[in-house]
Amino acid sequence: MTAASTAPTNIPAIEAQDLVRTYRTHLGVIRRHSIEVEAVRGISFDVRSGELFGLLGPNGAGKTTTIKMLITLLLPTAGSAQVMGFDVVRDTTEVRKRIGYVFGGEGGLYDRISALDNLRFFAELYGVEPAAQRPRIDAMLDLVGLAGREREKVEGYSRGMRQRLHIARGLLHDPPVLFLDEPSLGLDPVGARELRRTIADLVAAGKTVLMTTHYMFEADALCERIAVINGGKIVATGTGSDLKAVVANRTIVEIETYGVTAEAVDRLRADPDVIAVNTEDQDQSQILLVQSERGTEITQRLIQQLGDTRIGKISAREPTLEDAYVHLIASTGGEDGDSAARAAAVA
Amino acid sequence: MSALSSLRSNVHQVARVWAFTMKIFLISDFFILTAVVQPIIFASIAFFLFQVGGDAAGEQTLLFAALGTGMMGVWSTTLFGGGGAIAWQRWEHTLELLVAAPRRYDLTLLGQTLATTTFGFYSMIATLAWGVLLFGMPLDANWPLLLPVSLLVAVIGLGIMGMLLATTFVLYRHANALSNLLEYPVWIATGMLVPLALLPGWLGPISWVLVPTWAVEAIRGAAIGTEPPWLAIVMCLVLALVYYVAARRILVYVIDKARRDATLNLA
Repeated sequence: MTAASTAPTNIPAIEAQDLVRTYRTHLGVIRRHSIEVEAVRGISFDVRSGELFGLLGPNGAGKTTTIKMLITLLLPTAGSAQVMGFDVVRDTTEVRKRIGYVFGGEGGLYDRISALDNLRFFAELYGVEPAAQRPRIDAMLDLVGLAGREREKVEGYSRGMRQRLHIARGLLHDPPVLFLDEPSLGLDPVGARELRRTIADLVAAGKTVLMTTHYMFEADALCERIAVINGGKIVATGTGSDLKAVVANRTIVEIETYGVTAEAVDRLRADPDVIAVNTEDQDQSQILLVQSERGTEITQRLIQQLGDTRIGKISAREPTLEDAYVHLIASTGGEDGDSAARAAAVA
Repeated sequence: MSALSSLRSNVHQVARVWAFTMKIFLISDFFILTAVVQPIIFASIAFFLFQVGGDAAGEQTLLFAALGTGMMGVWSTTLFGGGGAIAWQRWEHTLELLVAAPRRYDLTLLGQTLATTTFGFYSMIATLAWGVLLFGMPLDANWPLLLPVSLLVAVIGLGIMGMLLATTFVLYRHANALSNLLEYPVWIATGMLVPLALLPGWLGPISWVLVPTWAVEAIRGAAIGTEPPWLAIVMCLVLALVYYVAARRILVYVIDKARRDATLNLA
């Protein structure tokens, strides 16, 4: 069963216009009252057919909420969205036939039975014709590298195997559009690399993929275009090169420190030639990432301003996409740059 | 898709979900323990109670008690499964996947609750076997051909009632606690434990709109009734149909509300 053939080719595979999603949360026990939280605040973007598009942002930025509206699990509070030309509110069945949804982390599978039984079950729910189910399952097991392991219980699978099984499940009905919500969450580096290879293969095979991640490296390695989302808004969209251009005229000085104080960091920030300072906590040390205008020599001044702080290695380098991301997140409020830097550093 | 192929496809979906859910139950230690131990306790209590009744506890009375207590176990399993059907999917983080699948979620839920009830019918078998082996209860049915029909109709009726319960539980995170509240009143109100004739008159209308009342009536009628239990069988099916229509309508509403309130994935 292939839904792709029914889709017009001259429209974006995914289109979102001014999407808004508000959650109502109840507080208090005796005097109950509710507050509204705007998780997504007027997001617009489109994804071309066959494109791998990344939604990049820190935790709580609105990535998952956006995906859940696009896959028909959440109703938008305002705005509209279409997948393969079908409205996500009105045409839910048509949208569901054309999408696969994969999320990261634990859950989403029946652990105590085999991968084969899981796939058989979902093949039925995804409308794969009974006669076509087993060949399709075998093809998907081959695609994700689980052929030969399908009769094992899922509870014995590693995180990487589970994630690949999730992808096999999401592709059972051969959907033209695939939504991947933090697919590499919790994977070890080898598992994450295998997963990235699988995703790249899917795009090469013509699938449209919308992927959320808070790993800069992953977005850079895979996505043709990236939308950086923060505080429920898209703060930048473009290719990796476009985003790097945001910090192209800067130099990054990396200073390894031990026990740096907040006051010392504030002194750096107060320097007129310093554009931004972000910190990354490591096991014993803190890395200060100091951005300044290209061509400005400030290293000696920075060392003086750090005073008694014990300093390790110091190096200057060209800005990377990670720096652009940290800059975008830090300059748009919602998440502090330190956390964003940590998220980026994990990758 | 023609109506016939659509029907065939829907039946296939329910059957596949039923088989899948049965498989999960059969490897669940917790579910098996509950299903194995509980009916034996129920049956023992009932048989001893009726034995204390002395002369009144004839062979037919013992069978009356056995079928009633068997149905108590079936109802408990149905209720447990109905309440748990949604909660388990939430715990496994599969509820969103099932709801977002292209196939109809009401049929998925129906397959799950039918499986629960089918599994619950082990209670009936265990109770009857317990009665025969330990209490010398005879196992003769007055209408032997209608007995399997009654059992099948009871499975369908209670399965759909489980689905109706499950639909109303979609919105509540603590559906299991709510389902516990319904266990004992239904034992009483549907004549599983004591004959309906002994209950206050005002309970009558409540009993008549509950599927288990007619399911018990149909099974007892086939086993020890003097007349074929056609009325009970038909009523069971009619109520099952009404419950199904209601469940589908409620499900559309609650899923829509869950999409609006973002409560589908709350564990």
